[in-house]
Amino acid sequence: MRRSELWRTTTFRLTLVYGAVFAAGVMALLGLIYASAAVFLTQQMDEIVIGQARAFHGVPSSALPEKVREVEIQDVRNVNFYGLFTADGVWIAGNVRRLPKGAPLNGIPRELREPGFQPGARALAERLPSGEILFVGFDAKTLAGLRAIILQSLIWSGALIILLGLGLSAALSLGPLRRIREVQQASLPILDGQLSARLPTSNRRDEIDMLAGIANAMMDEVERLLWAVKSVGDNVAHDLRTPLTRLRALLYRVREEVGVSEAHHGMLDQALSETDALLARFKAIQRISEIDRRERRAGFARVRLHTLVEEIGELYGPLAEEHGLSLLTETEASCEVLADRDLLFEALSNLVGNAVKFTPSGGSIRLRLTRRIEGPQLEITDTGPGVPEDERQAVLERFYRGRQERQAPGSGLGLSIVAAVARLHEFSLVLGDASPGLRVTLDCWPSAIVH
Amino acid sequence: MPRILAIEDDETTAQEIVAELSRRGFDVEWAADGRNGLVRAVSGDFDAVTLDRMLPHVDGLTIVSVMRNTGINVPVLMISALTEVDERVRGLRAGGDDYLTKPFASEEMAARLEVLLRRARIQARETVLRVQDLELDLVTREVRRGGREIALMPTEFKLLEFLMRNSGAVLTRTMIFEAIWGYHFDPGTNLIDVHLSRLRRKVDPPGSEPLIKTIRGSGYALNASF
Repeated sequence: MRRSELWRTTTFRLTLVYGAVFAAGVMALLGLIYASAAVFLTQQMDEIVIGQARAFHGVPSSALPEKVREVEIQDVRNVNFYGLFTADGVWIAGNVRRLPKGAPLNGIPRELREPGFQPGARALAERLPSGEILFVGFDAKTLAGLRAIILQSLIWSGALIILLGLGLSAALSLGPLRRIREVQQASLPILDGQLSARLPTSNRRDEIDMLAGIANAMMDEVERLLWAVKSVGDNVAHDLRTPLTRLRALLYRVREEVGVSEAHHGMLDQALSETDALLARFKAIQRISEIDRRERRAGFARVRLHTLVEEIGELYGPLAEEHGLSLLTETEASCEVLADRDLLFEALSNLVGNAVKFTPSGGSIRLRLTRRIEGPQLEITDTGPGVPEDERQAVLERFYRGRQERQAPGSGLGLSIVAAVARLHEFSLVLGDASPGLRVTLDCWPSAIVH
Repeated sequence: MPRILAIEDDETTAQEIVAELSRRGFDVEWAADGRNGLVRAVSGDFDAVTLDRMLPHVDGLTIVSVMRNTGINVPVLMISALTEVDERVRGLRAGGDDYLTKPFASEEMAARLEVLLRRARIQARETVLRVQDLELDLVTREVRRGGREIALMPTEFKLLEFLMRNSGAVLTRTMIFEAIWGYHFDPGTNLIDVHLSRLRRKVDPPGSEPLIKTIRGSGYALNASF
């Protein structure tokens, strides 16, 4: 399974979005906690500094420096700051040596933004009844600690959410992806024309099952229709063959048994050959259906292709010569392939027969057997008119005859039989350009399905 | 006059068989179902049998097996609507001598039956076949006409051997194709004609009496009297 495929699954994306939303929620929650705590702590600090300042109110002027030293000693956490100044602002006692500038002497706590203090520290300054100036500050060490804790929590939980989210989404996507794979695998034979194959369904009844069910229902219908169409063709061929044969038998008996003139004899012969042509056509239709119906690999055996090629050359040599054509067979190597010998011979016979039929006198036909890496390849090239590119697929279908070929004799089913034989063997049959002429290649190895 | 038994349940087909074979001078009897056919076939009163593959009561394969098991070795031409290759193989394996698929041309059926009858009559294992002044030596693979040697290609030799073994009988193109090349499909008429005309050029040179005859609408015959 490729990683890019995983990224693209809906489950993966959805899980990631859920993860992001969850992370945002966690951040908002922690932010809210911090904000509330900050407000609460500030209030606390304000009350502390007000209370501490108040403790100096009843103290006589002379005892103030001693009191400052006393409270400083009691401050173990080192969060309280005191400064006692004369009415003119000259330092008397305390660990604050200089009165912060611009501090209003109103006794109301405000934020202290001075170097050496944590952000959020609170302080007040006021003039004592005895005239001295008292400065009381409280450093925001608790608030800073809380901030650090919250920040750390955010970082850790964020990392955890991202990791868990990725892991979970990958894990969740794998299951559906595996099933999609199964569906993909199961659909390959269908694409290859094996219409009885169906997509797998589980008993989960999820959306994949729903889609597979719909696809299977459609396949049922396609198969039914196709069989209907096919059997109409076959039945017509079958139903017409018997009366046609009887008609032919009658014509034959008339010719043999009734005394007719030479001229009438000729007409009867013509009628007989027309009937024979019709019969050949119906026979070919039934033949295609018969090949299509066959079990794949039933009757398959090892076939020596080079012998087959030689036989074809020997069978068609005289006919080609009669048409003023040269028929060359080339077998590069001796090749064996698992196939139905009779059908393969019939297919080759049809291909060479076609080449003889359509190549003008003086031309040449070449039947070549070569060994490729994948397996043996048969190639038939001629110097005839070829098949236009837009007709190459169509000529392999039933009854299609090329534009130039309509006048030529034959059932018009030769190539369809070849195509049916190729289908049965899973060989690929390709019509190409031999410039000039037609090049037909039959790859004698199971064709890889590329979609 | 050879006696033929036609076992066939389809009346029209049976009439065709009877008419064609009678016209050729055979004495034909018709059995319309399997049971009746089997009883008459094993009676030993007939020289050859045409046998439908699918029959009511007793099927064609059974009839031919019973015939062979009871020692009735007259030629049997199986006739069947089943065209599959397997069916042909089964028919021949059960003891049939030839297999013809329905629908068929009457002369094809008659030609095949005549060849079967001829084959049954010739018992001797000759090494030299002779038809008039034409000689074919199966051992040395030499062919002579009136003492003059004829050089034949392997296929031409096989073709001539087949014609000579069945001299006097009409051989259809399908029969020739099946016998010489061993395949069972319709190769088109021209293909076989060309091979025959090549052989004829060698066997019947200008000035000699033609031995290979084309029977219009049917096929070929060697040394035919008609």
